[in-house]
Amino acid sequence: MNIEKKIIIKSKQGLHARPAALFVQIANKFESDISVKKGKQLVNGKSIMGILMLAAEQGSVVILKVSGRDANEAMNELEKILSGDLDKPF
Amino acid sequence: MKILDFLKPAAVTANLESTNKKDAIEELVDLLVKSDDIKSAKKKDVVRSVLEREGLGSTGIGQGVAIPHSKSPLIKDLVGAFAISKKGINFESLDGKPAHIFFLLLASSDTTGPHLKALARISRLLKDKYFRDALIQAKTDKEVYEIIAREDKTRD
Repeated sequence: MNIEKKIIIKSKQGLHARPAALFVQIANKFESDISVKKGKQLVNGKSIMGILMLAAEQGSVVILKVSGRDANEAMNELEKILSGDLDKPF
Repeated sequence: MKILDFLKPAAVTANLESTNKKDAIEELVDLLVKSDDIKSAKKKDVVRSVLEREGLGSTGIGQGVAIPHSKSPLIKDLVGAFAISKKGINFESLDGKPAHIFFLLLASSDTTGPHLKALARISRLLKDKYFRDALIQAKTDKEVYEIIAREDKTRD
């Protein structure tokens, strides 16, 4: 199954190292392929360095792409991280 | 943003001597004192802020790379220090492996943009295994700086 969702980064601090680490840890629990796109840059959602390369600031739009057997579940969890308040301690 | 915008040659070492996380962070901050990027009177507070950030979750991002950092009112402009540990240090990294490559990043607490852009630039370069290997094998501080400078200039 292939799912794509457009997500706006709302958190003031943007997608910084801590949420990036959390995102990748959760992404790696799933079998599905996960990627994140910002502008022309498409990165592997299971790599922290990949996610950090996006430098996604507050207000930026990213596209989360998930494909595989557990895509629905993965999308649900990962979307929550990206669209939530990234500055709260997790 | 380029790495050379915030990394001075004096803030680079090919031989980090520390054998644990706390000492490694202190040694990295010392590099910034040596390079005149921070005043020695501020050193203690800066070390504390970096350790506090580590307490929230390790910045050992795997593949032998750690990017300890903090945002602090003590810092005006973004500054970085870079170190290689040949032996590797247990940094409680996410993949459980020792860290060999350290990029300390200090940013002002007023802004988010430069900090994110610097993390992005560091990640873009360090994602390359050949670049990482070249850095680990470098023998002198000068050699490490030159490898970074070459990569920084030739990559988009």
